[in-house]
Amino acid sequence: MDIKVLGTGCANCRNTIALIEQVAQAKGVAVNLQKVEELRAIMSYGVMSTPGVVIDGKVVHAGGVPGRDKIEQWLVAKQG
Amino acid sequence: MLNEAKEVCPTTTLRMSREGALLVDVRERDEIDSLAFDVPDLLVMPMSEFERRCAELPRDRDLVMVCRVGERSLKATYFLMYQGYTRVANMEGGIAKWARKGFPVKGNASAAIASPATGCCGGAAPAKSTGGESTSVAGENCCAPQPKPASACC
Repeated sequence: MDIKVLGTGCANCRNTIALIEQVAQAKGVAVNLQKVEELRAIMSYGVMSTPGVVIDGKVVHAGGVPGRDKIEQWLVAKQG
Repeated sequence: MLNEAKEVCPTTTLRMSREGALLVDVRERDEIDSLAFDVPDLLVMPMSEFERRCAELPRDRDLVMVCRVGERSLKATYFLMYQGYTRVANMEGGIAKWARKGFPVKGNASAAIASPATGCCGGAAPAKSTGGESTSVAGENCCAPQPKPASACC
């Protein structure tokens, strides 16, 4: 599962990455997690509010740190 | 991937404005109340409203996106490009550079040139400049500033 976290490097972006890593590990889901920090690359997804989360090419979240429940839903849905 | 955004300097922006381009100021309203561009064709569309209102912007006219130092407006420029706008450019340096060059403004020019960064990441800028780093507040001067593409003239 390819997961990209879009954001220019602030605390919210770092927290989002850390949370996704934690949940993926807890659920035993293998993820390929990448940070996208360059503005042009971020805006290529049309995301104005970061952090944004893109899973397998689709924007699933924009703005603020996503909740743990939401992350679990993404990982379980893709895994299942 | 989007193409690199067009960037224009304040001198080119002033010329374009006189030739019919629309300046779009994406600063929040309290910032604009302190210091505003003094050009005939200006539209205020704060970042906090931008995503919702951007469809109001004409596609058949040159647009120059502006803000305090040119970071938020660059983001807005890319967003418009994502939406298919082709006649859009970012003014590098923002009103800070515009005012330093002595170009037309209304209000207190020294405030915009001297005021601190508004925060980091995300969508809307905060209503007041705090000057400090925030963990969840958007603004134009992020913890990890982006390298700017090469700009034209000036």
